[in-house]
Amino acid sequence: MKKKAITITMLLILACGSVYAQTHLAEDILKNADAVVNAPQDQEISLKMTLTDKGGNEKIREMKMYQKGDEMRLVRFLSPADQKGVSFLSLPDDIQYIYLPAFNKVRRIASHIKNDNFAGTDFSYDDMSASKYAEEHDATLLEKTDILYILELIPKPGVEKSYSKLKMWVRQDNFYPVKVEFYDKNSTLWKLFESRNIKKHGEYWIASEAEMTDIKKQHSTKMITEKIELDKGLSDKIFTKRNLKRAK
Amino acid sequence: MKKIILFISILVAIFSNSYAQADFSINGYLKTDNRMLIDDNSFTWNENQLGLKFEGSYSDNYHLFSEVRLRGFGFPEIYQAADLQSKDKVDKWQLEFREAYLDLYQFGLQDLDVRIGRQIITWGTADRLNPTSNICPEDLEDIFNFGEQSGVNSVLATYYLENFTFSGVYVPTFTPAVLPSGIFASALSEPMEFPEGMTLRKYWDKIILPEQKFTESSQAAFKIGTNLFDYDLSVSYYYGRDDLPLLNKVIINPVDTLGTVDASVEMIYPKMQIIGADFAGSLLDVGIWGEAALTIPNEVEMQTIVGDSITKSIALKNDPYCKFVIGGDYTFKNGIYLNTQFLHGFIHERGNDDLNDYLTLRIEKKFFNDELKIVPIGGAISVTDWDDYKNNYGFVANPEIIYCPYDNIELLFGAYIIDGKGSNMFSNLKGNDEIYFKVKVSF
Repeated sequence: MKKKAITITMLLILACGSVYAQTHLAEDILKNADAVVNAPQDQEISLKMTLTDKGGNEKIREMKMYQKGDEMRLVRFLSPADQKGVSFLSLPDDIQYIYLPAFNKVRRIASHIKNDNFAGTDFSYDDMSASKYAEEHDATLLEKTDILYILELIPKPGVEKSYSKLKMWVRQDNFYPVKVEFYDKNSTLWKLFESRNIKKHGEYWIASEAEMTDIKKQHSTKMITEKIELDKGLSDKIFTKRNLKRAK
Repeated sequence: MKKIILFISILVAIFSNSYAQADFSINGYLKTDNRMLIDDNSFTWNENQLGLKFEGSYSDNYHLFSEVRLRGFGFPEIYQAADLQSKDKVDKWQLEFREAYLDLYQFGLQDLDVRIGRQIITWGTADRLNPTSNICPEDLEDIFNFGEQSGVNSVLATYYLENFTFSGVYVPTFTPAVLPSGIFASALSEPMEFPEGMTLRKYWDKIILPEQKFTESSQAAFKIGTNLFDYDLSVSYYYGRDDLPLLNKVIINPVDTLGTVDASVEMIYPKMQIIGADFAGSLLDVGIWGEAALTIPNEVEMQTIVGDSITKSIALKNDPYCKFVIGGDYTFKNGIYLNTQFLHGFIHERGNDDLNDYLTLRIEKKFFNDELKIVPIGGAISVTDWDDYKNNYGFVANPEIIYCPYDNIELLFGAYIIDGKGSNMFSNLKGNDEIYFKVKVSF
């Protein structure tokens, strides 16, 4: 009887240890995924967005994006004409601002808007911030294929998201996340994010194409990198309300 | 008209030529706005606009911007055959010079930006109703387009020091507000009352603008802004004049012994100081903002002259009074957006006894990837006497549908439904319910 109890205890310890190790591994994979996406010290990117509805109709947006580290990002619309100059600033501590030229005002984005679609795209304001999955999610390793890790991410307690969980596919060779599925509060697949054309630019892995598809709306936003400059030494002053209002 | 076309052509030519040399752009829009009274289907608003925005910079150190509007507005004003020979009367148009300024970045100091020229400066955190925004005169031509302002020639200097922003503005000349026109001309003024038995035969009014000299027409303002505990905060000070005229002299001349009189009035723009403060941030998930403006007016004397008799009273006391607005917005899980504000003291109200309460509300929902936006509930409610609110209220309801079938194209269809009791801004406009159709094409 005593032997049996010891065996069960040992098995439990092993099982718990395995779960702990799996969780730990998943969190390391996620941290690596964040690190590889945000690896450049800074980035200046010219982007073209193509919005496609379920009827195949397309709308084009052009924008410029500046990013420094993993916490500061500024996005500025160049076209279409009715959105030209609309700018978005994401700062540490989840602080976000938007500049609307028509009102000549910089406005703080309240948290209730952060899960709204950004300027008609399939990306939310939250998605437009620099990606920090590890900081906001608990990760579990679901599966390991020959070339990919498959993780499940659940928002950490206290982190408010419009989705209930994410499923993320991460390349084993370079830790680049190639696919993310977003599940709504009913655990139904809602959005799909894919990174494509992942190539090395100098010492960094960069995806020159990304697409977010809203499965429910049958609407997608494809983002193509037209020009990228890395480690230019962008000043912190770019990521300020002062610069947000500037024309260029 | 030829001069205008020549002027715009020269601007376009200059800027087009500059394309090759620097980062310049020309954008603009076409707008039409037509409104009709529901009661008698008469048209009340007929507007077509071509707006052109010129923008560019030769270097990172400066930037220039200008916006001009060529505008066909109103209806033919034909009273006699000769008027038909005047194109201005048959087809009214005007050129509006909205903004034209130069930005100098890091001007002399690394953290100093200066903007010089005709510009619209909007301060405050509230939505369109900003008691702390007093530098530019109100453009109240379209009474329901709250918050519209005209540009003024000015210098704006902004200095950035860590988490603080210091702004200073100087405006050398005085520009009065544009008042509502057409059927809404009486929106901001109470009807003139005469003693019983007195009948008005003729009426004149005279506006006395301040002299355009340093001591009379100058306005100055300062603002300090910062971020504290995740809230954007600022305090401001304005010295200048009210941009709406104040009645300070009434002359009544009896014409006969039956009580018929001629009346003339004079109006001035009183000097005033305004101390302002505002904030914006979030409370839980709700976006909140507020601003308050403590106005300290110069006392203005009122003269009433009836024949040889002169009576003096006070048109505007120098007692400080405070206008404020507090508001919030929230997006529900189902995508419905709610925006509401409580306002104490509208643009034209002066003095503690004259400030009324207003509540604005807007509920909207977007469909089809933002192509369609429906505003089933929008508008404002005014209460002038809370003790007897059933007989002293007014409202304008503004349901609206906005459809954007393609990029850069916006179609708006909506209505203004106005009602109320007692004497207040909205009840004075009762019976003028309108529907409107607007189109905007950006390029």
